[in-house]
Amino acid sequence: MMDDDALDRALAALPLDEPPAGLHQRIMARTVYAPRTVFRTWEIWAIALLAGLASWLCWLVASAPHAADRIASASTHLIANSGLSSMNTLLWLAAGVSAAWWLVQLTLPTRRPPSIEAQ
Amino acid sequence: MLALAVEPPPVATEAPVDDQALIVAALAGHGDAFGELVGRYQRAVYHLAARTLHDAAEAEDATQEAFFKAYRALHSFRPGAKFSTWIFTICYRLCCDRIAKRKRISGDELPDRADPGAGPELLAERNDEALRLRAAIDALPEKYRTVITLYHLQGKQYEEIATVLNLPLGTVKTHLFRAKEQLRKALST
Repeated sequence: MMDDDALDRALAALPLDEPPAGLHQRIMARTVYAPRTVFRTWEIWAIALLAGLASWLCWLVASAPHAADRIASASTHLIANSGLSSMNTLLWLAAGVSAAWWLVQLTLPTRRPPSIEAQ
Repeated sequence: MLALAVEPPPVATEAPVDDQALIVAALAGHGDAFGELVGRYQRAVYHLAARTLHDAAEAEDATQEAFFKAYRALHSFRPGAKFSTWIFTICYRLCCDRIAKRKRISGDELPDRADPGAGPELLAERNDEALRLRAAIDALPEKYRTVITLYHLQGKQYEEIATVLNLPLGTVKTHLFRAKEQLRKALST
């Protein structure tokens, strides 16, 4: 009967199953070279749900009696109370928007990814 | 004087990059680093899937799926862990899912897809030691076969085998002992 060492040697010498030709390429096509999706499935569902909800709310508001008059009145009231009719507020808003735009335009140096050879 | 324009043989200067460095590079966007990992382990992963599932087409699907899952979850790979253990664990779980699916489809207990011709009569006819050993492994019950397959792939790293199979270390050692016992019996006939 075969002893433990002989069995270990026989197991170690046993060749591995040969994978089918092109397996490497197929794996790479599914992983590294797979086309990048802009949105994931759950994100598409979430966007569709939010869009549907927003449409329903718009329809609800628009279908109310005297909707146009009420929206115009609410908008006027909002502008008057939020200070948007004041020149000072508008100037501060313009300064804020301008600063934000310039910050967005700034490009900060990014760290270069390490190369395989370097490691 | 005759000058022979013989180019010197290429000198192997590049040291093999370890798995950890390849993972870091793959995470940094180097697709070729992940390709290198695939190249290193695809054969072993396919072997594990083929030995577990006993179906070449399913084994190929499981191998692809395992690398796909590994690629998607590469950022969660624990530094210091072994990539081989990780990818084997993913592959083994996928194989278990497939076996469970087979059982659900086929009804109650599934007959193990062992090599149908691996009976003792046929074993005796097979002279080649490797073929006989392969047939004997195929004839083992599923739990022993998987342990022996991982022992074949991982060597005497019992903790790694226990991690892949999610079994206590003692159980792995017991399974391995019984598997070897059955193999010795099968090979001595």
